Amino acid sequence: MTVLLSVEDIEVRYGAIKALKGVSFEVNEGEVVALLGANGAGKTTTQKTVSGMMRPSLGQIVYDGYRIDGIPPHELITLGICHVPEGRRVFPRMTVNENLEMGAFRFKRPDAAVFEHVLELFPRLRERIKQPAGTLSGGEQQMLAIGRALMGKPRLLLLDEPSMGLAPLIVKQIFDIVRGINSEGVTVLLVEQNASQALALADRGYVLETGEIVLTGTGAELLADDRVRAAYLGEEIAS
Amino acid sequence: MSAPKRTNPRTESLKRLVSCLLASLVVALMWGPQEGSFGNFWFGITQSIFKPRVLVFLALGVVLFLVISFWPKVVPYLTRPGVGPLVSGGVTVLAAQTLMHWGDGIGDSKFGTVATAVSNTPGIAPLTKAFFGWLCWVMLAVIFVLAALAIVRGIKVLAWVAAGLSLVAAVIAYVAHHSVVTYAHLLDHSLGVYVEIIGYLVIITAAVVTALSSAEMAEGRVAVNRVLGWRPGLPLVVLGLVVGLLAFASATWFSPQNFNATMSDTHERFRGTGLAPLAVQYLIWLGWTLFAVTTLVGAAAAYLRNRVLGWVAAAGGAISVVLTLITIYDFSKLAGQLHVDSATGPWQNLGAGGWMACGAFFLIGAGGFIAATAHGSVREALARAADSDVVASGRAASTQFLSAPGAMRSGIMLAIAVALFYPPTATGFWQSVLVSEIGIYVLLAIGLNVVVGWAGLLDLGFIAFYAIGSYTTAYLVGSLPIKPPSWLHMSPLLAIPFAVAICLLAGLALGAPTLRLRGDYLAIVTLGFGEIIRIVAVNADGVTNGSRGPDTQVPHPVIHLGPIHITWGLNQLQYWYLLLVFVVIVLLAFRRLENSRIGRAWAAIREDEVAAQATGINTFQIKLLAFAIGASTSGLAGVFFASQVGFFNPDNFVLNNSILVVAYVVFGGMGSLPGAMAGAALLTWLPEFLKDQVPAADRQMWIGAVVLAMMIFRPGGLLPARRRAIELRGFDGAGSQPRAVPASEGM
Ligand SMILES: Nc1ncnc2c1ncn2[C@@H]1O[C@H](COP(=O)(O)OP(=O)(O)OP(=O)(O)O)[C@@H](O)[C@H]1O
Ligand SMILES: [Mg+2]
Repeated sequence: MTVLLSVEDIEVRYGAIKALKGVSFEVNEGEVVALLGANGAGKTTTQKTVSGMMRPSLGQIVYDGYRIDGIPPHELITLGICHVPEGRRVFPRMTVNENLEMGAFRFKRPDAAVFEHVLELFPRLRERIKQPAGTLSGGEQQMLAIGRALMGKPRLLLLDEPSMGLAPLIVKQIFDIVRGINSEGVTVLLVEQNASQALALADRGYVLETGEIVLTGTGAELLADDRVRAAYLGEEIAS
Repeated sequence: MSAPKRTNPRTESLKRLVSCLLASLVVALMWGPQEGSFGNFWFGITQSIFKPRVLVFLALGVVLFLVISFWPKVVPYLTRPGVGPLVSGGVTVLAAQTLMHWGDGIGDSKFGTVATAVSNTPGIAPLTKAFFGWLCWVMLAVIFVLAALAIVRGIKVLAWVAAGLSLVAAVIAYVAHHSVVTYAHLLDHSLGVYVEIIGYLVIITAAVVTALSSAEMAEGRVAVNRVLGWRPGLPLVVLGLVVGLLAFASATWFSPQNFNATMSDTHERFRGTGLAPLAVQYLIWLGWTLFAVTTLVGAAAAYLRNRVLGWVAAAGGAISVVLTLITIYDFSKLAGQLHVDSATGPWQNLGAGGWMACGAFFLIGAGGFIAATAHGSVREALARAADSDVVASGRAASTQFLSAPGAMRSGIMLAIAVALFYPPTATGFWQSVLVSEIGIYVLLAIGLNVVVGWAGLLDLGFIAFYAIGSYTTAYLVGSLPIKPPSWLHMSPLLAIPFAVAICLLAGLALGAPTLRLRGDYLAIVTLGFGEIIRIVAVNADGVTNGSRGPDTQVPHPVIHLGPIHITWGLNQLQYWYLLLVFVVIVLLAFRRLENSRIGRAWAAIREDEVAAQATGINTFQIKLLAFAIGASTSGLAGVFFASQVGFFNPDNFVLNNSILVVAYVVFGGMGSLPGAMAGAALLTWLPEFLKDQVPAADRQMWIGAVVLAMMIFRPGGLLPARRRAIELRGFDGAGSQPRAVPASEGM
């Protein structure tokens, strides 16, 4: 198994605030890796740093053998790093169709096969193809955001809390689709609050706490871990 | 939680009544003199309020109150087919009979003045007397009431009657005006009668729409679109027919000092003077024949939807325009050589006739062109449009303005015809307004629209680039204290690429450090930049000659290209056409840009910058590009300005102008090219128009009122861009489509 992404001891600051204090983790080619953590732990910051929206003040990020920290997002996307930012962020006044086309901005023209594939993954988008994205429901917008990222033909897909604010049934649908995308060979770095679903899906997971990795293991291990259960699944610690 | 406050309907309507009456008092104040003196501070107010005229305004207030109170009852009628055209037609006629000029040379030449003059003139035709005395008002009232009744009650016969009466009214108005002009031997440039005729034509449309409407076309716009789209191209041909008839039968073709000659008179006048045979034949029969043939072919092409005929009509129209131009050139040139009644030479002393004929031929040709290029039947096109847009906007596309097949292009063609052939018939004053106010600001607004409308960056220092363009030109032509090296000394038109390049660099230089700022900060920084440029221009005496501006005149443009020699002088028309070329080039380029990758990237950044970044847009670079493109357009306008006025100074580049351009773009509809142009044109035209209508001191107030009304009733601007329209209407407005989803899907 080859390492696709390796984050090495990065420190990220917002002015004086240190959001990440030396975070290291690895993502292997073809894996789903989950980043868990409480609010404000630094999950979003980690993803933004990987996708190039922020630059680390210390440490380095290596992707596919190249050092990528400090490279802006519009260049990273050409390497196949596609980011679905937190809170969906579709283009509300553009139609679903236009949103998907924007996802393929890095290409001269959108790939029709990929477009068709996205609409197969998300049939609801096909029904609403000419509707402004702002009129979609929350779940549909999340699907659109993921579909838009897929239009960029990702090799590494960064998903930031895809389950945020969605009903359990939809969360399950979306996670199923993520699994499908992964099985097609796309590596996924998933940020989640919804630990049980995320860990059920993930090959491995990392737990962040105030800017540091405190726990790591396979999905199953973490799911069985008392601390995780206590903190994220709201269970009483037995002992 | 406190219980919601219960409102008593009676106090509610009392409040409303009081507001309406107060509003009417405000309007009364606005209409009155805005004056006062130390002796009588209250002069303006007493004149406005304590005079019987205030009763009229209070009555208007009551009407307003009634309208608002019974609005829910009125609304269902408002969407009936024909209401829109009826109201706009009525208002147009009313405006023609109150505000417009009806005969240049009679006092202030407004309708009222002309009417008084007519009533004091004995031997004038009784019909004319009646028209100016009472008939015009009675006709308008009767027609309006009849048409309104027809619409409200759905009586088709009445609608046809109203249409017929409107036609009669238009003819009477025309005859009456004509008899005044011929009786008084006026050199007439007034437009009142034409506006009145247009108003009646609009009312006729309303009536016809009403008469033809069926349940299928329950909404007004659908019906209007159906009528306009019935045969694409036909409306233009009909319009061309009307204009052409006026041109050939009665308009003035040649008007030196002391007489007005129609086309046949012109022929008489030039008989035996050695006028070129082509022009002679044109004046005798060729003009009429061309007109008849192109009209017939154009109408047939539109009616039969025949491509070949359409192209024939288009070619015929084009050839006829050229022949008409040759004819009027020939006889005006000859008149200058022979000093006919102190005529001054080529293109001078022409009446409106020749230009109207050109316009008519152009419209007919354009109608043929549209007929030749329109695809499919109306029903199909409407279905297609509805299919593609109904979900997107939540309203059937067929209800959108000018969505009928060919309607948009007909509108564009009409605009081109007006832009080409109206200015030569305008007075010198309006020609200079067209060039140095309307034209230049349209160009500036198109440029700023890229920055404000498309990229969403508020730039309050836009005029600085205009200044840089002007000063660069002045430098390159050697009008500044510092002289360019001799190899760089050039004529103004050659300066264009340099000025544009320098403005582009200036745009980059300002943008690069500041575009990382957001919203308000960017606005403040650009505002500062604008002022810095102006202050540098004032103070860098050795370079810019300070507040006096360039010390020698910036020469007018010249073109020497092989056999082509064009020298621009003091004739504003020449500048108008030069400006038109600039505007068209910029427009074509920007239209491509709007639909390009870059255009889409701007739209994405405007909507959500983070998401735009996430989809791989280099947001900084793309914003910088918008800034630079806007700046270089402004620079182009600067070159034009400098070489047109010759002398300018830093006062031409004050902050106020920057703000005005922003206002034009917002007023017209941010992000929409036609909107920006219409906004700039309307708001630069309005102050000049108001010069005649209201005291000078009141002008700004009226403009403010117009802008305010616009922002209340059409917050998206005159012609909003599609996306912006959705934004402002909100998604709820868009979502009239039910989006209920079965519970099992639960999304
Ligand atoms: N733009 C910013 N400026 C200053 N501080 C920030 C900024 N964005 C995030 N932070 C801080 O960085 C820390 C990590 O934030 P981050 O958004 O990465 O958390 P998160 O793990 O994604 O939380 P959540 O689960 O709530 O989304 C927080 O303490 C937050 O206050
Ligand atoms: Mg987060």
